[in-house]
Amino acid sequence: MTIGILGKKLGMTQLFQPDGTWVPVTVLQAGPCKVLQVKAEQTSELPEEERVAKRNFGKKRGSTDRPRRSDGYYAVQLGFEDQRENSANKPESGHAKLSGSKPKAFVRELRYTSMPELKRGDEIGVAVLKDIKRVDITGTSKGHGFTGTIKRYGFARQATSHGNSKSHRRLGGIGRQYSTAKGVPKGKKMPGHQGVDRVTVQNLEVVKVDEERNLLYVRGAVPGHRQAFLVVKQSIKNL
Amino acid sequence: MDLIRQIELENMKPEVPDFGIGDSVEVEYLIREGEKERVQVFQGTVISIGGSGIRRTALVRRIVAGEGVERLFPLHSPRVKDIKVKARGKARRAKLYYLRDRVGKAVRLRANFGKSRGPRSQPKMAASSEDKA
Repeated sequence: MTIGILGKKLGMTQLFQPDGTWVPVTVLQAGPCKVLQVKAEQTSELPEEERVAKRNFGKKRGSTDRPRRSDGYYAVQLGFEDQRENSANKPESGHAKLSGSKPKAFVRELRYTSMPELKRGDEIGVAVLKDIKRVDITGTSKGHGFTGTIKRYGFARQATSHGNSKSHRRLGGIGRQYSTAKGVPKGKKMPGHQGVDRVTVQNLEVVKVDEERNLLYVRGAVPGHRQAFLVVKQSIKNL
Repeated sequence: MDLIRQIELENMKPEVPDFGIGDSVEVEYLIREGEKERVQVFQGTVISIGGSGIRRTALVRRIVAGEGVERLFPLHSPRVKDIKVKARGKARRAKLYYLRDRVGKAVRLRANFGKSRGPRSQPKMAASSEDKA
């Protein structure tokens, strides 16, 4: 069974263990999350009222219902944090209304291998992770803009002196001319945009689960800046 | 209040003994000896206080057998049992690293009589709820 939740990064601090060692922890706001939709391989597996797709054409033409097409896979669609007033469009707010919630700012699906036990409209908190030892956390890394090869790939810096002129942080040679393999190799590492990538950190140790405030403490760093949205899942290692 | 700061406060000791730079202190530190735990006392002069919140530390220097020894104590560590002030010292700077270059009598600091720094107040949890409102 898939166990996971959506959340956001609050920041980092340190905690003491009883033996006096310091543990670097990242604190996450994990939940509460609303189940916005449950997807099933076959439509027949869904509860009766979920088997139709409601279509609303407005006052004049009224609404018609038709059988819902099958999703073809099992998943739970979660929503975390209400969207700003007026920032949701009609499809978003209409979709959220079906589960009795406000439009959510961060919506992601968790894939299942069989029919999920959750129903549309359920609310889950960080308590779902309380027996989990390790988690994988996915987010968007901090943006670094257009960076050079030293920061981006860890290239070595060149000499600051000994006659070096205007070539201190450059990348160096990129190819050769007089050879059977002349030219610049494909995929040569060069300066470019770094960050704002989807990054998953695997196997982070769960230090503490605060069910009351929906806080999750994990050991070590997680991708992204503070307030960045994250997907927390039970680790795929050590299962 | 910033939630991270509040989490730190929850995990901090409610009160840390009142001492300052230049004070002569005795730090009671829990150490493990095989299976048993016992308190080790480290006496010396506070030459630096660093960090903030739960990371606050004190650097204590003493002379052992003619050799200078410095230990850094995390004040909120559960291993630091107590810190007792033996004598107040008068210091005119925040870090007393210059004591490292001194030997013998020159290491002594002037005593500070009747000086009260007042309790080193910790931000109270009650105040935090007001901040939040």
